[in-house]
Amino acid sequence: MPRVVVTGLGAVSALGPDVETFWTALAGGRSGLRALEEVPGGASNTRIGGQVPNFTPAQHFPADLLPLLDRHSQFAIVAARQAVADAGLSRDDLGTAAAIVGTGCGGKETDEQTYARLYREGRKRAHPLTIPRGMPSAASSQVSMQLGIQGPVFTVSSACASSNHAVAQAAMMIRAGLVDVAIAGGADAPFTHGLLKAWEAMRVMSGDTCRPFSADRSGLVLGEGAGMVVLESEERALRRGARIHAELAGFGMSADAGHITDPSVDGAVRAMTAALADARVSPDQVAYVNAHGTGTRANDVAESRALRQVFGRHADALAVSSTKSMHGHALGAAGGLELVATVRAIAAGLAPGTANFTRPDPDCDLDYLPNRARAMEIPVAISNSFAFGGLNAVLVVRAV
Amino acid sequence: MDEKVYNAIVKAIATQKHIDGASIERESTLEQLGISSLDAITIVYEIEEQFDVEVPNDALENLKTVQDIVDGIGALVAAKA
Repeated sequence: MPRVVVTGLGAVSALGPDVETFWTALAGGRSGLRALEEVPGGASNTRIGGQVPNFTPAQHFPADLLPLLDRHSQFAIVAARQAVADAGLSRDDLGTAAAIVGTGCGGKETDEQTYARLYREGRKRAHPLTIPRGMPSAASSQVSMQLGIQGPVFTVSSACASSNHAVAQAAMMIRAGLVDVAIAGGADAPFTHGLLKAWEAMRVMSGDTCRPFSADRSGLVLGEGAGMVVLESEERALRRGARIHAELAGFGMSADAGHITDPSVDGAVRAMTAALADARVSPDQVAYVNAHGTGTRANDVAESRALRQVFGRHADALAVSSTKSMHGHALGAAGGLELVATVRAIAAGLAPGTANFTRPDPDCDLDYLPNRARAMEIPVAISNSFAFGGLNAVLVVRAV
Repeated sequence: MDEKVYNAIVKAIATQKHIDGASIERESTLEQLGISSLDAITIVYEIEEQFDVEVPNDALENLKTVQDIVDGIGALVAAKA
């Protein structure tokens, strides 16, 4: 079975327009969560968000393409281009590649604009680009078109685990010999009036900031952007002399089959256990965990308990952090961004910290790297995504 | 009225295709202007919104030139008046 390696990284996030700004901020413990810029459509109670700063679509796309691109598709394409360039690949290399893009929300910006015109303004007709621009598969279609990817291309949607499921799907295709290179990750752009209101109604949004695992945590802070990676068979990467960032050593997936929003410890345990088994890694080899760590009361306790169950006594030796404290919860893009963070952490020998941490919670009793990154050797790391719906996906990344 | 409709259509085509309106003539074919079916429905949508008319789906299939659009929209506008 071919080994799968990561040869390209791309990130657009609250921390900046590319991987370097993203990683520099994470390494320095700087949060990109700021006062929310006005979201058109009406008032909301949300005061803070992880919006991509200074993102000017016209700098990235020609005028005749822009009308076809929902904001999340824009992020997906920009991050995919970065990943492909980082991998040293060109359009000619991607003819048989796969592209699997995760998204939790899809083209909400587009849909809401059309619905506002129909429902609020009482207009008679929808804009003709509403479907091609807003469909859940719009971003994967556009990534394929813009990069010339002609192999298997589709969208994966599993809420906040979308990216990790997408990466797992792409890795499976490489292992199966179906393709030898794939672009995978996720994109979301949830700062639309209707979606903000819907998230507010869930009562999981922080009015303060995102403080994962901290005793005074008050909920999640939404983020936006895209995180994409290039996965290749090790053989192909070596053959073309590519720089290999890390090995995508394994993945594990599970479903709680329980509650639609309450996370279960058992489901998370099963996903992590499956991922370690798939990677043939023993728990004590894992040094760093990029946690799902949303900053909600429920997630952070359940995730901490699950980590203890999976890792036993080794749990006390784990460095665990939630980079959502800095880039926000980018929903379907979260796993992609966090995979980029995890790969860079391994390469740099530096585990990013958990920002905005004030004091420990007795129910969250692990080492969360409060407010500071830690220089450490990371032979193996895992990156967790535990989504609404009880859909769990965990990635295992190994140093090369 | 024809002139008003013509000008609106030229503007909609120019905007959609990012071309100079002066390069568009009545006898220009949609093919010459590089207008795809997605372009065509977007242009027709803009005109429908502007003149508050409803272009039936089967009418779209017979559009070959700019003048065809002008005639079709012109007739709908006249019928409304």
